[in-house]
Amino acid sequence: MPCAESLRVQAHFDGELDAIGAAEVERHCETCAECRELWRDWEQLRVALRQDSTHATTPPALRARILRALDAEGAVRGSHALPGSHRDTSGLADWRSRPFWKGAFSAFGVTAIAASLAFFVLAPPISNALLNDLVSAHVRSLMPDHLIEVVSTDRHTVKPWFAGHADVSPVVADFEQQGYRLVGGRADYLDHQRAAVVVYQHGSHVINVFSWAATDAGWPKNTTRNGYHLSFWRAGNMVYCAVSDTGWDELDGLVRLLQALGTRDNTG
Amino acid sequence: MDERRRAFEARVIPHLDAAYRFARWLSHSSVDADDILQEAILRAFRGFDALRGSDARAWLLTIVRNCHLTALEQQRRRAFVPLPEEHDAQDGRAMVADTPDPESTSIRRDEERTLGRLMSALPEEQREILMLREIEELEYREIAAVVNVPIGTVMSRLARARAALKARWLKETGGEPHAVR
Repeated sequence: MPCAESLRVQAHFDGELDAIGAAEVERHCETCAECRELWRDWEQLRVALRQDSTHATTPPALRARILRALDAEGAVRGSHALPGSHRDTSGLADWRSRPFWKGAFSAFGVTAIAASLAFFVLAPPISNALLNDLVSAHVRSLMPDHLIEVVSTDRHTVKPWFAGHADVSPVVADFEQQGYRLVGGRADYLDHQRAAVVVYQHGSHVINVFSWAATDAGWPKNTTRNGYHLSFWRAGNMVYCAVSDTGWDELDGLVRLLQALGTRDNTG
Repeated sequence: MDERRRAFEARVIPHLDAAYRFARWLSHSSVDADDILQEAILRAFRGFDALRGSDARAWLLTIVRNCHLTALEQQRRRAFVPLPEEHDAQDGRAMVADTPDPESTSIRRDEERTLGRLMSALPEEQREILMLREIEELEYREIAAVVNVPIGTVMSRLARARAALKARWLKETGGEPHAVR
């Protein structure tokens, strides 16, 4: 049984305590042989690890490959940027400075082409990555100990929890009477933000309801991937996605309940 | 080069080496690590606008870890595809390349060192946190964000990782207390 103070001692060792906390820990270590020994172990381990790790650097060939990939990515973004975004103006300026394009199209025409290209060229890969992320996050959540970080059937516990753990505050409710039991919440990294995930149970099925701040890119259509249904909707400035292996009807049932609640939340 | 790309190179690319090391520790394979790193940098570039004021290194390492988990998931799914029946055990072995590339040899060399080998025997959830703390010197708060667990979990996993390493170490060095090598 380790000393009850050992985690605090460790926090001091890792430079995480303020001056007062550090002084308290040091006073504790004067009288606790066990913590003094731990400290010595950690120090030796640190020295050894920092010596031992080769401090590997990215091989030049890999670095060059990555920068080339970025060039290609930048070219796609620059020429097919979405209209109305700040990137569009620079892309447009580049195009129009080329003699061939001068006068060939009106600004409107170029924007329209850029917009349609953006739709066909940009939209599929972005939403594909998002769909993959959503399905992966759902599958991961089904592995032991990954489903829930805050376990509660009480929406007054789950909703405030998100304030410190996610970038958005989603609608949370228990629909036990309708067959969708609230079991908890989780934070997940999605679309480059900390998304909130509300977890429901319907019969033996888990339904993860992801939510994140809406961006200009819009959101994908409802779809099925690897046997999981994904249902998307937008409410206020957030995009929601319910993922599950239940049937579409069961999934829609929860989606309709949440949509109704979201509308009430926004108006009221 | 446009402004966005310049900003990306100034804020994110300086952390490429940290991302590379983290990818290697996570994946145990230099080939996978290369792909994970490239995918992570591209995703980071696409999502660069979301970075704003937060710490670029912890943010990039989060994306690396996410790409690693996605790759793992894909590998697992592929692993379910059964081999055709006429492939017996011997053919199966032949499908594994036995001439490793220089980089994976160097990883293996790292692991042959006592500590590296002991460390790679740790459970992944402990190893990644120990790696982020001791090698990349991230704060608890940053580690919690990268690994997506509460700070309390970071602290307890870190303590477990250190205790486990010490125990293995003592075993390896024949019980001699405080022997580093």
